[in-house]
Amino acid sequence: MANSKKYWKGLEQLNNDPKFLESVNNEFPEELPIDKFLGDNETLENSTTSRRDFLKYLGFGVAAASLAACETPVTKAIPYITKPEEITPGKANYYASTYFDGNDFAPILVKTREGRPIHVTGNKESKLTNGAINARVAGSVLSLYDNNRYKNPMMGGNVTDWKTIDAAIKKDLAAAKNVRVLTASLVSPSTTHALSKSLGVKVYDENGNFKGIKIDNFIQLDEISYSGMLDANMASFGVRAIPTYNFEKAKTIVSVGADFMGNWLDTPMYLNDYAQTRKPDNDWMSKHFQFEANMSLSGTNADVRVPVKPSEYAAILANIYKQLGGSIDAPKTNYDAQIANAVKSLKAAKGASIVVAGNNDKDTQLIVNGINQILGNYGNTIDMNTVSKTKAGDDAKVEALIAEMNEGKVDVLAIYGVDPVFSLGEKFKAALGKVKSTISFATKANETSKACKYVCPDNHLFESWNDYNPVSNYYTIQQPTISPLFNTRQVQESCLVWAGNEDTSYYNFIKETWKNTFASELVLTPFNDFWNKAVHDGEVKMNVETGVASFNSEALAGIKVSNKPFAGDFELEITQNAAVGAGAGADNPWLQETPDPITKITWDNYVTMNPAEMKERGYNTQLGQESPANMISVTANGVTIENMPVVAQPGQARGTMGIAVGYGKVVGSMAEPTGKNAYPLVGRSATGAAYYVGATIAEVSGTYPIAATQTHQTVMGRSSVVRETTLATYKQGDKDAYNPEHKLVTHEKGEFIKKNIKEFDLWKEHPVENIGHRWGMSIDMNTCIGCSACVTACISENNVPVVGKDEVRRGREMHWMRIDRYYSTDADTEDKSIAGYRKMEDPADNPQVVHQPMMCQHCNHAGCETVCPVAATTHSNEGLNMMAYNRCIGTRYCANNCAYKVRRFNWFNYLAYDKFTEINPAQDDLGRMVLNPDVVVRARGVMEKCSMCVQRIQAGKLDAKKASTKVQDGAIQTACSGACPTNAITFGDLNDTESKINGDMNHNRAYRVIEEVGQQPNIYYLTKVRNLENNEA
Amino acid sequence: MHKEAAIREPLILGDDVTYSKISDDVLATIEGKTTKGWKILMTIAAIVGLWGVGNILYLIGTGIGTWGLNKTVGWAWDITNFVWWVGIGHAGTLISAVLLLFRQKWRMAINRPAEAMTIFAVFMAGLFPMIHMGRIWMAYWVLPLPNEFGPMWVNFNSPLLWDVFAISTYMSVSLVFWYIGLIPDFATIRDRAKSPVPKLMYSLLSFGWTGNAKAWQRFEEVSLVLAGLATPLVFSVHSIVSMDFATSVIPGWHTTIFPPYFVAGAVFSGFAMVQTLMIIVRKVMHLEKYVTIKHIEYMNIIIIVTGSIVGVAYLTELFISWYSGVEYESYAFINRFSGPYAWAYWCMMTCNVISPHLFWWKKLRTNLAFTFVMSIIVNIGMWFERFVIIVTSVHRDYLPSSWSMFYPTWVDIGVFIGTLGLFSVFYLLFLRYFPVLALNELKTILKSSGEKYKNMSDEDFKKLHPVKK
Repeated sequence: MANSKKYWKGLEQLNNDPKFLESVNNEFPEELPIDKFLGDNETLENSTTSRRDFLKYLGFGVAAASLAACETPVTKAIPYITKPEEITPGKANYYASTYFDGNDFAPILVKTREGRPIHVTGNKESKLTNGAINARVAGSVLSLYDNNRYKNPMMGGNVTDWKTIDAAIKKDLAAAKNVRVLTASLVSPSTTHALSKSLGVKVYDENGNFKGIKIDNFIQLDEISYSGMLDANMASFGVRAIPTYNFEKAKTIVSVGADFMGNWLDTPMYLNDYAQTRKPDNDWMSKHFQFEANMSLSGTNADVRVPVKPSEYAAILANIYKQLGGSIDAPKTNYDAQIANAVKSLKAAKGASIVVAGNNDKDTQLIVNGINQILGNYGNTIDMNTVSKTKAGDDAKVEALIAEMNEGKVDVLAIYGVDPVFSLGEKFKAALGKVKSTISFATKANETSKACKYVCPDNHLFESWNDYNPVSNYYTIQQPTISPLFNTRQVQESCLVWAGNEDTSYYNFIKETWKNTFASELVLTPFNDFWNKAVHDGEVKMNVETGVASFNSEALAGIKVSNKPFAGDFELEITQNAAVGAGAGADNPWLQETPDPITKITWDNYVTMNPAEMKERGYNTQLGQESPANMISVTANGVTIENMPVVAQPGQARGTMGIAVGYGKVVGSMAEPTGKNAYPLVGRSATGAAYYVGATIAEVSGTYPIAATQTHQTVMGRSSVVRETTLATYKQGDKDAYNPEHKLVTHEKGEFIKKNIKEFDLWKEHPVENIGHRWGMSIDMNTCIGCSACVTACISENNVPVVGKDEVRRGREMHWMRIDRYYSTDADTEDKSIAGYRKMEDPADNPQVVHQPMMCQHCNHAGCETVCPVAATTHSNEGLNMMAYNRCIGTRYCANNCAYKVRRFNWFNYLAYDKFTEINPAQDDLGRMVLNPDVVVRARGVMEKCSMCVQRIQAGKLDAKKASTKVQDGAIQTACSGACPTNAITFGDLNDTESKINGDMNHNRAYRVIEEVGQQPNIYYLTKVRNLENNEA
Repeated sequence: MHKEAAIREPLILGDDVTYSKISDDVLATIEGKTTKGWKILMTIAAIVGLWGVGNILYLIGTGIGTWGLNKTVGWAWDITNFVWWVGIGHAGTLISAVLLLFRQKWRMAINRPAEAMTIFAVFMAGLFPMIHMGRIWMAYWVLPLPNEFGPMWVNFNSPLLWDVFAISTYMSVSLVFWYIGLIPDFATIRDRAKSPVPKLMYSLLSFGWTGNAKAWQRFEEVSLVLAGLATPLVFSVHSIVSMDFATSVIPGWHTTIFPPYFVAGAVFSGFAMVQTLMIIVRKVMHLEKYVTIKHIEYMNIIIIVTGSIVGVAYLTELFISWYSGVEYESYAFINRFSGPYAWAYWCMMTCNVISPHLFWWKKLRTNLAFTFVMSIIVNIGMWFERFVIIVTSVHRDYLPSSWSMFYPTWVDIGVFIGTLGLFSVFYLLFLRYFPVLALNELKTILKSSGEKYKNMSDEDFKKLHPVKK
């Protein structure tokens, strides 16, 4: 039975109340004050809150509050609205580009992550350099994220905008009669073209018709001048250019004061070629003679190094020239035997030798040209037809410009790519004050830009398009890898704007220029294809026959060669340090902290002096935390630099000193510049800047702390650390003579037998041999030249913190890889007595030098692994020694028990502790952008060390897995092996029998450092072979 | 009642010593007023200790970089101090455990203060492995605790882990042994206490000791058992500490002679520290009757013996380094005695090897002032021994490129001085509130070795203690 009971909602319904009947059809029985509520502010404020409203507010409030509490607001990360096609988070992109800073030129590969450039290596496919770079290039990416960069255009020292500054400059240019441009060597054709549009001299014919633009008013300045050499080549060949050298073909190399591996001309173009000649397994190995005063990087790698004074360079060359059959009046020197030796070697390698000299002096360079001509090197190893354009400065024109400026004749001076107030000094600064209008294109505040009226900050080179023509018929492209970080503008675009071409982007401008330049190439190829390939490869090489420059021997006639010592106490050779260079690294903490390859000193320039002479004067010759250097004042050319520390440099010629330029730049807000500016000591005249000058010194009381990463100089006769031999011994083929195995006597089956140390084992083997991958590395000590590009690349790849001078002095640099540099000693290394060891501590007066890259050896029986109480460091099944930072409690037992001392401890919180605020770029929001997101930044109190770039190994394995192949040999490169300009470092899979590293491991020259300790490292070193006869010094 | 041979010198001097006098003498400091001298010493110790605590807090707050360590020398003063303090601790256990097993009655006058020294020295020692960690807040990871960090477990191969077990075992056994010995003495204080608060405190401390025969019997038994347990620890702890070095690959550390050499060195330094403390305590607290010249002499003899063992070990080490023909090994030792740290080596040799042999002269070894000076010298020498082993080995190991020097900072020094202060604070508190000598044990030898009873004729002695038939 259905229930038919009726229920009423209330009495109103029962009574059929008319009010109720009216409301029954409405959804809401009461009228809601929505319109009133949301209508206007007044009613909103005056409205009464109903019960429902209250509930609504309550509900909304609770929901809103809980939603807001759900997630912390993201303040900095901004997701892509439309994801760019080529950017995948977590995946690196590489762009071929070019590095040029006025001094160094290198085709490079820029690694970007999520749109940020984070790492630079050489472009290994470059036909010019084969991917060689130096430490400066490897560290350059940090300068992009420098907070000291100009962030806006500046006018009269105040921030302004581009419109205002453009108008002002246009006005000045229009009014100017005499515009001058002081620039670094003009290597970029498009840049020259763009600059000339507004800054060049417009030429009109007699009828007043525009004929074209001349750039006579562009004065090129190389901060390290090669003017003398250019002038000599002008005289000898009628071409004012630097030749290209082909070291690959040079069987004999004689360098007189030219550090062609460190700082001379186009170093990256030479290194890889040179290394090819240093392989003792090839048919021949080059013989390298070096006559020099300072111990240079080239000197450390020479087979025969003769310390001589700079005043003797010309005489030595004259003697070589004379003995080769040239006619010249050669003064006698004290080096007859060494010269005869070099001449003998040169004669044997006619047409396959190279003679170079470091003098920036026309006459000396003319002799060098004469020597190379007699030897028939032109056309073989030296090419005067395919010339290098990276150095084109003319000191005479610079002097003339200064004179012109002083006379007040210059209306507008634009300065691009150089810092002449820093490098030319007060003289230039005074002249600059007399120029009516000065324009600087500096990217960072420097001494010159601070003195300029207008600063139109250029983009950083990683933000810019550009093209270069460093060598005849060879072009490279520079492409931006990030949008400009600040309100800066490429100098070329600025000039185009001033010329009235507001609408032309420089990118299109380059393309137009190229269309014209390569018109002949483009007959068959569409331009876009040609251009895209050029951008992809980063370079274009043309095979165009050029004319033959003819040698004018008359230029040599009448040259007077003198070997009169320079006036003063010492002959000073002004040089550059490997990492800081001519000043490019001065404001780059990575480069400042990269130790000089020879002295191993960081964060300073100093006077180098022969230790024996220092001892005579009572100076401290030791380096150490509490062993500060003595100080002297150095006077040359009437300029005195006060309080320079003196450092002992074994091999420094007696009576000479060396000082590096590039230091002493005032950087950002740092109170004190790092080091002292030595440019004022350079002799300046119209005939060319003189880097060899006479100097007087004066003692200064007080001492100066020096931060060196290596304070002990010799290897103490430890033949299992460093193995070296002569080519003569090596060629005899008896391995025991140069690389004996470590053997132990043992007693088996009633007999005494000698067994290889590898067969003795305390522990169980890690099952890594012939199972899966077994990563390892080989380092060829013959081709390692000590340049330290690997050290800087490692810093960049692995987020190694910068710790500053004081911490380095305390022996706490954090570098995961270092290059040990050992000097030979005159002492008997077999004499292992107390007195014998004491003698071994002193380097020889002219030592032979060994560079030994040293990083975690990834021992199969690692001392570190057993002692960690919490198992924070363990062995991977691919042979790597791994470090779990999160697990580390920081007992430092592993570091103590590491026989190679490669472990680094986080003594402080480098990311926050105020001692490092000024030094460590990772304390700065901008500087932090350079960090590699694949590598964790380590906390205070944990141990860290080389991981063999495990992040790259993982990425390489993933790539191979995706491609369903095995990991190809050479596909994975560690940061150091990728940066090595000479390919001395090889990374690979030891289990892969086809790999290069497998061959290296079994090579006769292969050994492992202190193998007899039994830790079974995975890093193999190849014995160094010097091209010497057994009785030759 | 057993009566000791007359030929043995008495261990308790004075004709007036009675059971109650022993209690009065020993407990005088507890029951009396705080003296001015104690207050001054306590203030100094507390200031120095607080200075040390401040340094430790600064160290933990800022980083290990506040010490002078570097990439080559990863341990220096920290582990030197650790080993030094652990070594000092050894004398206490040796006296109370080993000498107990050997029934050496003279131990009774010095075992309590020596054991207290042990406990406090181990406190100080334990501090260093903690604060030397880069991340002390993760220190508990050295314990094999079941965890949820994945398969993370401690590494039983690591000697540092063995240290954790060795030190903690040693610490707990020593503490228990010491406390058990204190219980009857606390009960004595409780029974004599007049004001309610001390009475309450000491009755809590004495665990309701009744002093009946059964309790005494159990007390004796438990002492023996603990002595049996503690004896191997005397040898194991420092052997294991030495393995931190012995199992490594560093020339100068990698030495099989280390375990016995370290144990001998530890006993050597421990007795020296006991001498330093007891010579002051017996004078200030008027305990010359109980801690006699004879006691001092006995300890000096132990110092000669252990000092000689240490000396032989040093020379053996030197010889073997040469005899091994291993280049690095022999250089490590050549460097020790002729390198930049030769001053530390020769300081160690003089203090530890040469100076103890002055004790062959009886006049010197029974001279209090001389003994006091010597005890300080030995402890300086032993500190240098550890410094020499740790720093001079590691500062020049295999690759000469990494050779460096170690220079302490004010934090290094501050932390060390601070532990001396903290130790003194603990020791002064012990002297003030704890029975300094094991008075109930002393009472057991009063009649056998007390001077009064020794000098008594047999008749008198029998009269005093008639033997019931």
